[in-house]
Amino acid sequence: MPVEVIMPKVDMDMATGKIMSWHVGEGEAVTKGAPLFDIETDKAAMEVEAPDNGILHHTAPEGTEVPIGQAVAWLYAEGEAVGEQPAPFAAAKTPEPAPSDEPVVADISHPEPDVSALPQFAPAPIAADRARATPKARAMARKSGLDINALHGSGPLGRIQAEDVLSALQTVPAMVAAPGFSAENGPLSVTRSRGGTGTPVVLIHGFASDAQSWAPLEAHLKHRPLVRIELPGHGKSPKLRIADFAALSRTLRQCFDSLGLENAHLVGHSLGGALSLALADTRPRSVASLTLIAPAGLGPEINGAALSGLLKATRAESLGPWLKALVADETLITDAYVRLAMSGRSEPNLRHAQSALADVLFPDGVQAFDLRAALDRIERPTRIIWGKQDGIIPWKHAFGAPGHVALHLFKGIGHMPQIECADAVGSILKSAV
Amino acid sequence: MNTHATIEAPTRELSYAEAIREAMDIALGSDEAVVLMGEDIGVYGGAFQVTGDLVHKYGEDRVIDTPISELGGAGVAVGAALTGLKPIFEFQFSDFAALAMEQIVNQAAKVRYMLGGAVSVPVVMRFPAGSGTGAAAQHSQSIEAWLGHVPGLKVVQPSTPEDVKGMLLAALEDPDPVMIFEHKILYKMKGHVPEGYYTTPIGKAAIRREGKDLSIVATSLMVHKALAAAETLAGEGIDAEVIDLRTVRPMDRETVLNSVRKTGRLVCVYEGVKTLGIGAEISAMVAESDAFDFLDAPIIRLGGAECPIPYNPELEKAAVPQIPDILEAARAIAKGHV
Repeated sequence: MPVEVIMPKVDMDMATGKIMSWHVGEGEAVTKGAPLFDIETDKAAMEVEAPDNGILHHTAPEGTEVPIGQAVAWLYAEGEAVGEQPAPFAAAKTPEPAPSDEPVVADISHPEPDVSALPQFAPAPIAADRARATPKARAMARKSGLDINALHGSGPLGRIQAEDVLSALQTVPAMVAAPGFSAENGPLSVTRSRGGTGTPVVLIHGFASDAQSWAPLEAHLKHRPLVRIELPGHGKSPKLRIADFAALSRTLRQCFDSLGLENAHLVGHSLGGALSLALADTRPRSVASLTLIAPAGLGPEINGAALSGLLKATRAESLGPWLKALVADETLITDAYVRLAMSGRSEPNLRHAQSALADVLFPDGVQAFDLRAALDRIERPTRIIWGKQDGIIPWKHAFGAPGHVALHLFKGIGHMPQIECADAVGSILKSAV
Repeated sequence: MNTHATIEAPTRELSYAEAIREAMDIALGSDEAVVLMGEDIGVYGGAFQVTGDLVHKYGEDRVIDTPISELGGAGVAVGAALTGLKPIFEFQFSDFAALAMEQIVNQAAKVRYMLGGAVSVPVVMRFPAGSGTGAAAQHSQSIEAWLGHVPGLKVVQPSTPEDVKGMLLAALEDPDPVMIFEHKILYKMKGHVPEGYYTTPIGKAAIRREGKDLSIVATSLMVHKALAAAETLAGEGIDAEVIDLRTVRPMDRETVLNSVRKTGRLVCVYEGVKTLGIGAEISAMVAESDAFDFLDAPIIRLGGAECPIPYNPELEKAAVPQIPDILEAARAIAKGHV
């Protein structure tokens, strides 16, 4: 008898999960415990392991939404005859037929056969997240880390062809390398340090910030290769339209996958912390350790006034007060620093892109995503670093962390420990990575 | 196009049939083991006058008329090959291979394998093939894919006078059975043919025209139709690469895959019935390889219609790919309309 592979329940209030991708093809052998498929729920994306050894058959198509506990595929023993799919896939969104007390009577007044039951010869429907694309377009998108499903297809039936990928790539602004870093082409701006050996450290900045914010910390991490990713609408990354946290997380994951790192330490600040956590939840095998600095995603509260103030500011005078809200010691925010920061935010499109992102991530000044369940699941060494005068996200969110997560809480430090006490944060990281 | 050193030899214009005759003349003159066999190849000179007057030069012991039995004649040729001769056996029409399948498929192709490599069957069989002569359903088929399906056989389809001479001489050097499909329409085609002895490798396709927008892989007579289409396409700004497959088995993977990697678009043109034919094999070869990742449009196959070749001349033309069909397919695929 084939073994059923079921949609697991990974969140308390999860009803359905969407199959994002299969790691193993139809008819291929799988080993118990090996990654089998990726799922996405309302809140998180994660990898599901094979429940047993066997040969994979009757896989539910990628993109389908399946209720928890329902079969998504079957595993057959080596040599076992593969027949019909043992049971149909349960559709997540088909309403139950209304119960009827009427007796079932054959209707003989309409002898014509019901043609609606016959197969309809129309172009095969394409799932929303499974674009029609040529192999060449797919290969090009894969290589450059673009999400093929986000592209416009100019070919017949809306097929995405190579030239569509080329034109999408041309709209991504040219990457400019910071001193000591080399830029890479891709949907997100990625810069790598030229020195260091061993497991690389991936740095993911926070909302309304950019890769430059890691500069004070980098002096402490020179022994490792450093990889800095800039979020969409930030720094030199393109201003992609992002629907929600899951989409942002997916974009980052695709970028991370395209880096080809077998293993990496993740360090994320604020929104970057939440994204690091989501990434570690989905790619646990690629993550050596996780460091979350004043992370988002561990509770609903956030300083909405400071966020909108930062986003609205068009001059140094209006930006300064909100920058000071980021830190405990306001003397760190000099006039020169404010002017420099404002020059980095002078482009209106950048502010618009960040405002659009804030609208979906922090509507009405609330964090619209919750990663506490993901933090509970983390098995990799994880530490949270927080300043106890954080004026943006309440540092007490750290208390929701499970026991195996280390907490480093700094007195007299605000939302930017990596800048405010770079030496202390640096030495914690240095011993960890 | 030839890789052999004698490419430098002086050339002159010969017809395809004359080039075959010259190859057989060279072989008969230089190797006593070579004999010609077939129906009416002696005094009559062969159904298509390919053998010509060779019987007068080499005598009836070496240019042998066989009785009207393809099974018997092929059996004698296979037996002669097993005992040390190198027979070149001519069928009057490739369609008649159906009568000799036992000898070709069950004997010639398999004896080496079944006797552990102790023997080989150095027989060459020549098959006048294809439509366009008004000879109807039983004298017009293109059955190279039938034989291409049999391990132990080599199957070639030279498309030029130079190649047919070189491939016939290469076939005689091959220790195993080689099947040569000669399109009847090509017999009168003229082309430059180097003098003297040279061989054209079996298993190597030729790029007849380089291009960057799409790859047309064609066989035999279709190569010439594809080249004519490519000239018209060039005037429209479509740059087609034309590959002459030359050998059906073993197929030249790399030349085809490299071309697809370059152009991203593939049209296969062959005269045999489309379904389960040479184009299916080429398409699958691409789909199974890394060249798949370079495809930027669906593959198009142009093959023979799913019917016997009709006698009516207009229907006969309609049953196999023609230049307008190639043009239509190439335009559609190059402009992203399919």
